[in-house]
Amino acid sequence: MSARRGKPGNTIDGPTTVAVLRLYIAGDAPNSVQAVVNIEAICRDCLNGAYDLEIIDVLEYPERAMAAGILVTPTLTKVYPLPAAQVVGNLSDRPRVLLAIGTRSEEQ
Amino acid sequence: MSEGSLRVVDSVQGKQHDKTIKGLLRQLVNGSPEQQAIEAGEIDAIIDYSGRNVILFPAARDALRLPAAGESTHEPVANNLLAALTQQEYQRLAPYLESVTLASGTVLHEPGEPIRFVYFPVDCLISLLPMVTGGRTVEVGLVGFDGMVGTSLALGVNVSSLRARVQIGGRAFRVSQARFTSALQDSQTLQHELNLYIYTELAASRQTALCRTLHRIEERVASRLLMTSARVRSDQFFVTQESLACVLGVRRESITQAAGALQRRRLITYSRGNLRILNRQGLEAASCHCYGRLDNLSHRA
Repeated sequence: MSARRGKPGNTIDGPTTVAVLRLYIAGDAPNSVQAVVNIEAICRDCLNGAYDLEIIDVLEYPERAMAAGILVTPTLTKVYPLPAAQVVGNLSDRPRVLLAIGTRSEEQ
Repeated sequence: MSEGSLRVVDSVQGKQHDKTIKGLLRQLVNGSPEQQAIEAGEIDAIIDYSGRNVILFPAARDALRLPAAGESTHEPVANNLLAALTQQEYQRLAPYLESVTLASGTVLHEPGEPIRFVYFPVDCLISLLPMVTGGRTVEVGLVGFDGMVGTSLALGVNVSSLRARVQIGGRAFRVSQARFTSALQDSQTLQHELNLYIYTELAASRQTALCRTLHRIEERVASRLLMTSARVRSDQFFVTQESLACVLGVRRESITQAAGALQRRRLITYSRGNLRILNRQGLEAASCHCYGRLDNLSHRA
């Protein structure tokens, strides 16, 4: 599975900063399923549609994980806006995920 | 598409795998986020860069129902014909099965030429195309993980009557003509499965002829996309307008119009060959239902 969610069109529609996120998972393994549920809830609740989330199954696309330097799954990477950031695990720690994504409330 | 040299290690119970995991864990920096997440039980898999493996942790492996070492009768084979073989039959054939990665556009068989290898697709898709003077053609068969390329050997004919061209690249197993013929003589299961498959191929070919005459291009495009999706086991795949026009025997402009109409109805997205099915039920309703008929047929077989 390599699935894309969110509203990437926002990048050209307006001034909203779109968070480009990639979640590397291992199929339907328990932590991977949990991570997908958690990140979708976080995006829905906190990012107001301004995100482009791609879910990459390393069992199908291992080369993509290796190209990105991923060591374990699940791993969430924030590709944009810079600086890039990573969160490892099932993403149940919402404040930590928001800090990595860099929502306005968490930025300095 | 996965690279052929990468593999998923489906067991961590064996001593070798235990050693691999321990070795990989030692490489993680003390107190690193990865190590903390592993200790918290939040990790499903670890990637072994030196071995180019994805190694599943036990809970993940159990959840994915992959067999542990020694549990399987034979290694899981992602091709229906090979998977139907008994353990003994498979073991006899296995040493001669060669795993190959086929690039899109590769021609496996040409009409009138001897068949050197038969192919069992895993996640690639092969079009069967009769050729006429001038190079024009139209697809009469589509082979995915459900079948095999080179079925005429089972009927005692070792010359291909069709061009077999890789439509969507991916993995397959191949075996030489001589080994396959010998395996066929030794295996009643393979004979039986191939008979059923050839019957399905024949019926599909007749249905395709009917479809081409009676159904609208948009319906045929929808059917073809559903058939492709079923055979590559994904809602996303790469297919160019040229190749679709070629296999359906229509002009490229007709494909552009049909794909545009399906996009406007939000059934698919299609950009530069990257196709994604957004609404499967809607696409089925938009298709000419030849897809459903053929699918039922292969299940009955």
